[in-house]
Order: sequence, then C-alpha cells, then structure tokens
Amino acid sequence: MTGWLAASIGVLAIAWQGDVTATQLAQEVNPKLVKLFGSGGFKGLPSYGTGVIISQDGYVLTVANHLLESSDLRVHLYDGTRLPARVIAVEPELDVALLKLGTEKSKIEDLPFFDVLAAMKAPLALPGTTVFAFSNQFQIATRDEPMSMMRGNIAAYAKLSGRIGIFEAPYSGNVYVVDAITNNPGAAGGVVTNRKGELLGLIGRELRNEQTDTWINYAVPIQASVDVRLADGSSRKVSIQELVEKKENYKPVTKAQKGSGGGGYHGMVFVPNVVDRTPPYIEEVLPKSPAHKAGLLPDDLVVYVDGLPVVSVTMLEEILEKYRPQDKVQLEIRRGDKLQTISLQLEVTPKALPAPGAKP
Amino acid sequence: MVRPALPLVFAMLFLPTLQAADLNPKIQLMESVRLETIRKVSPSVVAVVTGGGSGVLISPDGYALTNFHVVAGQSPTLKCGLADGILYDAILVGLDKIGDVALIKLLPKDDKKPFPFAALGDSDKVQVGDQSIAMGNPFMLATDFTPTVTFGLVSGVHRYQYPERGMFEYTDCIQIDTSINPGNSGGPLFNMKGELVGINGRGSFDKRARINSGVGYAISINQIKNFMGHLRSGMLVDHASLGAVVSSGFEESSFSKVMISGMIDSDASRRGLKIDDQVLFFAGRPTGSVNQFKNVLGLFPKGWRVPLTFKREQENGSSERREILVRLMGYEKQDLNNPNAEAKPVPIPMPKGPNQPKVQNPKAPSGPAAKFYEAKAGYANYYFNKQERDRLLASISKNGDFKTLAGNWQLQATGRIGDKGRQSIVVLRVIPKGAKDGKNDLAQGIFDGIDFAVEPLAVEQSGKTMKDPPGSGGLLVAFFQLRQLLVYGEKGFVGDFSHGGMEPYYLPTTDSEKPNYTASRMDAEVLRTSLGGVNSKWYFNPKDYQLLGCEVSTDRDDDPCEIHFSDYRKDNQGRMLPGKMVVRYGDKEYLRANIDGWKMEEK
Repeated sequence: MTGWLAASIGVLAIAWQGDVTATQLAQEVNPKLVKLFGSGGFKGLPSYGTGVIISQDGYVLTVANHLLESSDLRVHLYDGTRLPARVIAVEPELDVALLKLGTEKSKIEDLPFFDVLAAMKAPLALPGTTVFAFSNQFQIATRDEPMSMMRGNIAAYAKLSGRIGIFEAPYSGNVYVVDAITNNPGAAGGVVTNRKGELLGLIGRELRNEQTDTWINYAVPIQASVDVRLADGSSRKVSIQELVEKKENYKPVTKAQKGSGGGGYHGMVFVPNVVDRTPPYIEEVLPKSPAHKAGLLPDDLVVYVDGLPVVSVTMLEEILEKYRPQDKVQLEIRRGDKLQTISLQLEVTPKALPAPGAKP
Repeated sequence: MVRPALPLVFAMLFLPTLQAADLNPKIQLMESVRLETIRKVSPSVVAVVTGGGSGVLISPDGYALTNFHVVAGQSPTLKCGLADGILYDAILVGLDKIGDVALIKLLPKDDKKPFPFAALGDSDKVQVGDQSIAMGNPFMLATDFTPTVTFGLVSGVHRYQYPERGMFEYTDCIQIDTSINPGNSGGPLFNMKGELVGINGRGSFDKRARINSGVGYAISINQIKNFMGHLRSGMLVDHASLGAVVSSGFEESSFSKVMISGMIDSDASRRGLKIDDQVLFFAGRPTGSVNQFKNVLGLFPKGWRVPLTFKREQENGSSERREILVRLMGYEKQDLNNPNAEAKPVPIPMPKGPNQPKVQNPKAPSGPAAKFYEAKAGYANYYFNKQERDRLLASISKNGDFKTLAGNWQLQATGRIGDKGRQSIVVLRVIPKGAKDGKNDLAQGIFDGIDFAVEPLAVEQSGKTMKDPPGSGGLLVAFFQLRQLLVYGEKGFVGDFSHGGMEPYYLPTTDSEKPNYTASRMDAEVLRTSLGGVNSKWYFNPKDYQLLGCEVSTDRDDDPCEIHFSDYRKDNQGRMLPGKMVVRYGDKEYLRANIDGWKMEEK
C-alpha cells in the first residue's frame, strides 16, 4: 500500500492541475506582485497592502484605499528591492488605483508583469472555478519574502452593492465572491488567478456586514466596468481597461456632491450628524422640493427607504445617493407615534438651491 | 409538498452514475490518496482533553507533541483521547515555552501494545502550494476523539511571527490556509505522504473572532527536532540569542541587510563579531533580512554552537569575510530585539466552556501518571531527566568501569603544544585528598618540562590559576573533573548532574585547516555537571556512548577548556580509553597529542 501511495503521489505532482503545479504557480505569480506600504496604522486600517505589476516599466494596479493617502508610498519587490511609488490615477467608482514605481526621473525596466489587457479579453470565470489568491495579508512578508497563497473557488459572480448600507462598498459592479478567506487586512490589491496563473481579478477590501458581523471575500474582475450616472442625469462607462490604457491621461468620474441627494434632489435636510448613529430625523424641508410636495415635515423620522431599514443619517444619505433624478422613492416615516408611507419623486438638483432656513 | 419529491428521487437515481462517469480519473486518484493518507495517520492524532487541545503521537512508547499553551496552567497529569475512542492517562515531559511546544507521554493500557505514531517529515522540503492536512479536535467536537480533518494549501514557508509577552515566537513556521480553530492547537500538520511536518498552534485574526481566518501557522517539525533531546530530558527549554543586536540598519536602502548594531559580552563577541559587521549566513542559511535571521535563531536551544559568516568592511575599502562558530546564549529575560509588529498572530486557546474539564487544583498531579512526575526548578518534569540521565550513564558504563580507581591518575601524552613546532611530553596527574602531603585534591601537570599544580576544589584560588596551564583554559581542572565523572558518577558532583539533551558536536580541525562545520558536525548526548564552581558539559556519541569530548568552564565569562578524545582502544582491563586528544581554548588549539599511557590506581 505504501508503494502504491508513493507512486500515486508522484503521478499527482504532475497530474494535479495539468501543466502547472501550485508550487510552480506561486513561483510564477509572486514576482509580479508588490508589497505596498503607505498611510494607515490607525482605526483598524492597516498601513500595508498589495499591488500587481502590469507593465515591465512598473505600472501597478491596486485598490483605491486609504493607503494611497501618503506622500511616502513605498513598495518591496519580490527580490527585496525597495522602491518609492506614486499615484497616477484613481477611479473611485471601480475602487481601483494605478501607481507607478520609482520616481519621475528613475528608469525602471524588465519587471515581471501581468498582461492585463490580454486578461481583460478572456471571458469571465464561471462560478465553481478553482482559484488561487496571492496577497501580503497581515503583512506576513516584507522585502524578499513571498506573498501568501490561498486556494478557493468562485462561489458567485454577483453585485456587491446589492446590500449597500450593509456592505459599504464604493464599487457597485459585479464581483467574484470567493469561498476562501481572501480579504484579510493588507490583502486588498492582491490577485486572484485561475489554475494556469491567468489573472482574474483584484482582491477587494475588508467588508463586514454590520448586521450579522460576517465578512465577505471578493475580487473585482479585471474586466470590471460600471455605468456611472452623473449628477446631470447622463451616464458614463468606466472600466479598468480605460484606466490602464489612458494611464496619466485618465480622468476619473467627478462624483456628485455629497448632501445634495447624490443622483437625485429630494429637499430633505436632516439633523446634524453628531454621533455614529444619529437617527435620520428631518430637520427642515426645502420649499418646492420633492419632499415638500410629498408632504414631509420637520421631525419626521425616516425608518425605511424602499423597504430597506435605515438607522442613521449617514446610512440614509448613502442610500439616497444611489438614486437618480426621476426615480421614485418610497419612505416609511414615523410621525408622532404613527408609521406612514410617503412616496416622492426625485428631481434634478436645481442650479440655485434655496438656502436652508428660508421659509417655504 | 408532494411535487418536489419526484425530481429529487430522479436526481438521486442518477447521481451515482453521473459521478462515476464524469469525474476525471486523476481527481479520483487524488481523492483516494488523500483518503488513504488520512486513514493511515488518524490513529496517531491525540485529543488533549485536559487543556482542550490536540496533539500527535511520535513514538510507539507514547511520546506525543502538543502546544505549550494547551498544557499551560494544567496539572502535569493529563487525560488524552485517541481515535480508538479510549481515554488515556498522560504525563507532561518537557516544555518549550517560547517555541510553544510541549512533549507529553501517554501511558499504555496494555504494555505489549505499541502506540500508533506519525513519522516525522522534513519541513524544509515543504513548499508554498503544497497540499496539507491538519487534524485535531477543534471546539472539542468529537466526544469519541475521532479527529476532525481539514485540508488546504501551504500559503508560506519560513515565516517569522513575533512573540507575545516573550512567548510563542513562531520562527521558521509554516503558514497554511488549511482551517485551524480553537482546539486544533497542538495538533499535527501532515504532508500528503502522511508525514508530520508541523504542529498547528497560531493564527492571524486581527479584527475577526478567534476562529479560522485562512491564516494559520504550524511550528516546523525540523525546529522541534532540534529541541527534542532537551524535551525528552524533561527540561524547561530556553531558546537562543546571539548576544548581539541585529537590525536591518539599512531600512531606507533599496536592498535589505542584517547588520550587527549592538553587542554584549558574549561568546559571539569573544569570537570576534563586532558592531557594523554584516551577517551573511547563519547556521548555513543566508540572512538577507532580520526576519530570516530570527527564523534561524529560533531553531536552536540555548547553548548550541552554530556557524555564522559575517562580512566586515575595512578602512581601505576592501572587505573581510569570516566564519565563526558561536555558542548561543539564552533567550529568556532578554529583550534585545522587540520591534512592535502590526497584526500579531495569536495562539488559539480553547474558549472556556462546559466542555472544559474541571481541575480542582491545576498544579497537583494526580492519578496513575503521578508516579512519573517530579517537580524541580528549571524542569517541566525532573523525573524524565533522571530517566534519561540514568539511561545515558548505564550506556556509558558499558565502555568501562572506573568506580574502584579512586587513587592517583596519570595520563602521559606526546604532542604539539600551542604553536611550538616540536613534539613535547605532557603529563596530567590527579592526586586525591590525603594521598601525598596535600590536604586537598591536587591536579598537577608537566608541559614541555614546566610544572603546574592546581587545587581544583579550592574556592579561594584565583581564577587565573584555575585556567592553568596558560592558554589551555583550565586543562588541569578539566582532567580532574573527568576523573571525578568516571570514578564517582553522580556522587562526585555537588551541584548539577543532569542530562543536557542533544547538542551538535564539532570534530576539531587544526588551526591551519579551514573548518567545514557541516562536515565536522555530529549529534551528541550531553551530560551537565557542576562541582566547585566549575560547570562542565560532557558530549557522548549516541552510537557507541564514547566520550567525544567535554567543555569545562572555570569562569562563566570566559571560554571553556575543550578537550576532544578519539582513537578509543580497549586496555587490558577491557576499558575503552582514548588514544588521542585535542585541547582547545577560545579560537586556538592548545594541544594535539597522542596519549602514550593511562595509569589509574585504586585507592
């Protein structure tokens, strides 16, 4: 039996996944990743992360998180080389950033890299696909120590933002949901590959469901694109491909101003957001606004928005930002000790907003 | 309600055929190998019921490994379950607090029946991407002790994880995505051949609850192998430190280096290591980063000697490269390197719950295993030290009985002293108390015509005299201590007389030869003695129990006198006696000689 076992293992080493063993895969992928160090180290935000090299001259893709808000962004390459890095372009709607290694003067060449444009042409991976995740989670590696490798399967290809307010994600497109615990501190910006080592996506943030205290593990597909509705009602398609192709010339989507109702104007002014979970009481209703027309009154408490429970001003504002002009919103409000349902239709934000405090 | 039943029955009818037909034969083979491996190793997996952890048997006589943090705070008498469903009594043997390892011994229910045990693998051969199997009793789920099996990948090797409160420093460990949870602690990590490659014990959790987060760590079995001799002899094993502060001094440079940034008085400093030296290799492994350096350092117990290669920049711009053999210092109560690490991984103790056995007094040994326990400072269980020591002494005594030879001893040799080019006559003599005119024991020597005499037990004697003849580090005292060991055994010593575990022993080369520490290294069983302020280590070859050599230290802040014996022959009484000796002190050879004769008299 022992002999048979040994022989079988010999066979398996070759046969396990076709041409490449997982060990070879790790050796192939590791040099194409960088350990990223930037700002953080407070409020549970790590000061380390991961990035993926996408060109031989040192362009790097990573997640557009707090890490980049540093004037001293550094990377460690697979061979232990330490280099500075600078942010070239950020697209919040994709939650992706493009970096360049080295200074503006230094010349970098011959780095191992992932051909992302080729990877974008590949079809999306199907649920059930076995995947490998590589990242510098928990900052286990520094200098020339290799990335952590994990194995899992794609559990679903689905919208991450379906439950906004529960998972607070800036990216609203489809993601690969992975059944391995890939999204640990510092893993964001790492890669998910298939068994051949082909790039499938970028590991996303740490996202916790505040209601169930569970965490989701996901990767943004390298083919990711989203249609962003702009404040004026028009839309624009943004993609990682565009970011990679335009590099320095990439213009990120200008986000609609916060507080004005995001994609739509409602005319509710809420109580000042002083504590973490300030309940969404209406302080003022702007004259001639949709809220005014629908009959909302100061001191109304918003309890549900289109069936979704809201517990705070922040959460309500984030939900409303996802709507756009002409959308209908159904609010459940508490007035006194009664619940009421009120529908209002959002409008385009008027050029001149009435000043808060003006009488209707 | 009735409607869904039909498709379900339909599916069930077809499911087996679908599987058999569609599954890739390679996958089927893979699965059968996995199942066979699990079947083979399951019987060796231990549920450490006391402490709520896991363990693994490593010998047919019941020795098993687990984590220190599993048995910490528990009585030394333990209860352990095996996959056969039987609850066994067990006893604590040895502890490595810093490395988070405990050795325990299960007591057999039937003396004739050996325990099933796991074969030790080579953890240096484990690679990122290898598959691995973790087994144990997470959450103490199995009341019949059937181990839980989890299967996953090796995520990283040679990982360094910072200690917590001076303990649980995981050096050179194996990182896995194989799920480990509370209760898995101390359990085995197997490779796909079913060889034991690690002991699971820690994980990175950060914000999440202390359950699997896809990042677990196993102590590499190769590290544990280095500590095994110490653990088996019942010790509270201390880890090693270099006696120097290392830093990656060049944090801002593009490449990382390990530099010596501070030194204390230590063997490393006596061997010539200095501040600003760059450490290139440590115990044969390249040290490109502080983590790599610490990974190597964590592999060894205190007192081991390991080679270190360093580079020193000279003022004229050239650089010198040197290899030294360093005696490692202890680790505990030292805080030379303590940077603050983010996201510290933590050991995973079992949550206190109803499954936890209630121990009235956690310290008191009780039950049938209690007779295998003896408390002593510095030991986890002194009983096992005595066992190991007496076994060693019994083996040594087969090479000759010296018990009756309590009279004068004399050794005559011919050889080269120091760097003198010619052959000299050397005589070493011990004259016991009252044998001649002296009131005290006397050790005398003639070295190339010059006489020396030492009272080896006279405390008031100056340290300098104890090291006579000059340049030997105390050869006369060492010869006296040797006679003491051979004639009197335990009775000849007042302080320590214990088994010292296993240590590497390096066969001496001449000063002109370039030493090859890999080729000249062998493993030796160590006996530690102390008498009259002199601490000695005696190194025995575990194959024939010949005395390979000794280190006799008359001054703890200086190098010991090292004697190496070889060319053993039987004398006319059937005793094995060495025909050659080499004496070293510090970096220099003091004597290399052929022994012409031994004269050992009865009293």
